[in-house]
Amino acid sequence: MQSNTPRRPGELGFNLFIIAASLFLLYHAYGIAGFDALSSAGAVPMVTTGLMTLCGVIILRQNLRKPGKTAETISRDILPLPVIVTIAAITAYAVLLKPLGFVPTSFLFLLGLIKLFSARSWGFSISAAAGSVALIYIIFRLVFSVLMPAGIVPEGEILAAIGHLFGAAK
Amino acid sequence: MIEILQNVLIPFLDLKLLSLVALGTFSGIYIGAIPGLSVTMAVSILISFTFSWDVYPAISLMIGIYMGGVYGGSRTAILLNIPGAPSAIATALDGFPMAQRGEAGEAIGITTVMSFFGGLIGITVLALAAPSVSAFAIKFQPRDYMLLAVLGILLVGSLSGDSLVKGIFAGAMGLMIGSIGLDPLTMDQRFTFGSTAMMGGISFIAVMIGMFGVSEALIQLHSMKTPGVKQVINRIVPSFGTIRKYLPLSLQSSAIGVIIGALPGTGGDIAALMAYDHARRVTKDPEVPFGQGAREGLVAPETANNAAVGGAFIPMMTLGIPGDSVTAIMIGALFIHGLHPGPMLMVEQPHMFWFIVGCLMLANIFMLIFGLTGIKLFVKVVEMPRTVLIPLILLLSIVGAYAVNNSLTDVYWMLGFGVLGYFMRLYGFSLGPVILGVILSRLLDDNWRRAIISDQESLPRLLHGIVTSPLSLTLFLAVIVIFLSKTPLWSMLMRKKTS
Amino acid sequence: MIRKLLGATLALGLTTLPALAEYPEKEIQGIIQWGAGGSTDTVMRAVTPHAEKALGGSIVMQNVTGGVGAIALNQVVNGDADGYQILFGAENPLLYKVMGLGDKDYNDFTPINVLARGVPILVARPDAPFNTYPEMIAYINAHPRDVKFGSTGPGGLPSVVTAMINQKTPIDVTFVPYDGDGPALTALQGGAIDVMPAVLGAAIEGIKGGTMKTIALFDVEASEALPEAPTIVSTNPEFGALLPWGPFFGVFVKKGTPDDVVAKLTAAYGEGAKADDFKALMDGRGFKMMNISGAEAQAFLAKWQSTTAWLVQDAGLTKASPADFGIPKP
Repeated sequence: MQSNTPRRPGELGFNLFIIAASLFLLYHAYGIAGFDALSSAGAVPMVTTGLMTLCGVIILRQNLRKPGKTAETISRDILPLPVIVTIAAITAYAVLLKPLGFVPTSFLFLLGLIKLFSARSWGFSISAAAGSVALIYIIFRLVFSVLMPAGIVPEGEILAAIGHLFGAAK
Repeated sequence: MIEILQNVLIPFLDLKLLSLVALGTFSGIYIGAIPGLSVTMAVSILISFTFSWDVYPAISLMIGIYMGGVYGGSRTAILLNIPGAPSAIATALDGFPMAQRGEAGEAIGITTVMSFFGGLIGITVLALAAPSVSAFAIKFQPRDYMLLAVLGILLVGSLSGDSLVKGIFAGAMGLMIGSIGLDPLTMDQRFTFGSTAMMGGISFIAVMIGMFGVSEALIQLHSMKTPGVKQVINRIVPSFGTIRKYLPLSLQSSAIGVIIGALPGTGGDIAALMAYDHARRVTKDPEVPFGQGAREGLVAPETANNAAVGGAFIPMMTLGIPGDSVTAIMIGALFIHGLHPGPMLMVEQPHMFWFIVGCLMLANIFMLIFGLTGIKLFVKVVEMPRTVLIPLILLLSIVGAYAVNNSLTDVYWMLGFGVLGYFMRLYGFSLGPVILGVILSRLLDDNWRRAIISDQESLPRLLHGIVTSPLSLTLFLAVIVIFLSKTPLWSMLMRKKTS
Repeated sequence: MIRKLLGATLALGLTTLPALAEYPEKEIQGIIQWGAGGSTDTVMRAVTPHAEKALGGSIVMQNVTGGVGAIALNQVVNGDADGYQILFGAENPLLYKVMGLGDKDYNDFTPINVLARGVPILVARPDAPFNTYPEMIAYINAHPRDVKFGSTGPGGLPSVVTAMINQKTPIDVTFVPYDGDGPALTALQGGAIDVMPAVLGAAIEGIKGGTMKTIALFDVEASEALPEAPTIVSTNPEFGALLPWGPFFGVFVKKGTPDDVVAKLTAAYGEGAKADDFKALMDGRGFKMMNISGAEAQAFLAKWQSTTAWLVQDAGLTKASPADFGIPKP
């Protein structure tokens, strides 16, 4: 069907990866209950992972028929620098969230990415980041009481103190 | 009759209740629009919050949020390609391409009016036919749910884009993801690799936010220098002609929505996807092809998911059985307020039923009003420079994934599925089938097992059961016809006929 | 300037700190083991506003579901023992060890309050060809594998009640698994299953509305909420030794939480559980109020674990023997 479009860089590697992953999951699905019964907990998982493996192999066959030559390169069309940076930034966010806390981590995350991508002034980046964090904090933390990790900012105590002040004023 | 009308009109005439419904609907739209904030979550917070209130105000607020929330999911789906809620997944398929062409205003307009229409049909069926619909819905046996799930799985054909094989792979992957965790039926561990954190499975919302939100943001990083899409807004409210044109489709979609909504165990998300598939099947030649901004692709899912709201109340009000997760919490709320939702509620306290119908109607009207105002401000989002918008979407995705279960693990899952989704899109896989698979996984798996166990592990007995029950037989035939219609054989036959 | 400001903030901080140091000085996180709308959720959301009033602090409730509650339990056990994380749980953790679901259970917690106990009830679809427990047994014996029992996975209430039945009279029925007694009771009303062991609270409205019928109440005395339901001991007194038994709801903090915090929370929930509307809610749903704490609650939990763990062990449902974990035989 689409055999005249050339293979994209890395496509073959990704294809082999999904076949390997499917096979691994199929093996694991077999391990849930074996061929115990039609109604076993492993029955449907075995069918789905089996189907994944089968499709993976068919896709591989289609891929191998495609011409391998392409003008695209990995560094430009598949994993350009901004994508790598962003994936790294999200990972860093997840790692830092517990020790540093929600407010500082989010602020740094936004500031870094906005500054990097937009190349605008620091003033613009800082105010955009701070404003967005404030908005998200109000919606999630104050309105919906989603307790984000506090980290180095003792926000729980600060909120309680503010609450006390207002409480006292009443 | 007068008494019924009196109860229906309570929320309309009492200023306090009226403003609570308005407030609820308004906040519901935003809750629905933000991925990670769900109506289920908001309503359960409200239980503690409204604990000391009377039952009427508490219910009015909850219903407002419910109605607004189901609709609100479409906003981010259209503007950012990130469905705010699972029931808006189908909306993104054609809504986002419209926004990319500068037609976000029109897309939101159609969505709003159609949501209102679907909501209206759902409420009407609830008011007029609740007992008979629930008598029908309760009759669904495990094998019928299984067939319904198979019918849903066949949607892979419509969702897989260029390559069917890749679509099937993605669908199977979704089904597999949905089965991760401690199996609730047997307590067997499936794909948990011995980890406690995996026993609860992978949060569906984390998968959805990753696959849609993060992968979309990563893809857009390729074209960061392109400015935001300028939006032309000349017509928001669709013309009468447009509405009339889509009337048959929206009626059919509403019917799908009400039934699927009324079935205990299926809700607006499945209804919307099924309606989308239905639209693709019955629309002979859309002005714009499906997946590239077909209006039919907005009309069907949006009428269906709002019709499902009325549908979900049907088993709740008549039998005390929740039609979906939100009505499950409302049943809890009614208990807390001293009512006893069950088969006797309609007999002992019919006023409650009619009051809820009234609230739903009012919320539906507010949804229309709030939905059609402020669109100009909303679409500004798409016009924002991408260099700011993308980091913001990413942060919102992270916070949303975290908020679902207050868990960092979900953030890692979101990232993992985001990266996986990114590669899948680059290599020509469409992600719709993955989400479809996750949504339908439990419905298919659990009911397959129940069905085959009920028939003593014998396939011939199961088949016999299917052909002897009119309901199962109808579903079975629908599965076969739709399956055949998606195979090359069928199109060959059709071509022969026409030539 | 900055220095001055810093000094001022610090001074302000120092003067306000002692006033705040008393527990609770910030929001308390309440983790509910089960999903929104379930009975644990309803019970906890109903009692907590009363407890908050008595405590003078706010408790943010949140559902952490999955792994039969193990995820929530582990989250609290891995947190700090400072009283800012409370676990709202049901009976399930006491079976985690024997079910191979983890090595932590309520022994790693201090009970704040065991609020109430549910009563198991055996219900059938209204047109089932039997009305009483002996009739049901006779019918099952005459039609092996024909009767469909709803079940909810090993360790849940239905499996324990079924284990009790099997211990007295082994039955040959088909078990159709569901993921909770709510969905199973729905299936019962649709005729997909014939009999379901459930908790009274989940079945009571259906029984009153005639969409299901009582076979037997698994308790030693009749329920006030449903007085006409016959108890199992009225027809089969041999069950007396195993009863009363039932799932329960409790409030817990991690072991090692300071005594004054435990005392404050215990007082608050003890007060909250006395609220009239909460008691009315519990009675209406057919739960038996317990409202016990301290050593009494510890003893209750230990006895419950021993009875149930050995019951499911004898039924062959466990992954490891209770003896491996030092759970004594009743």
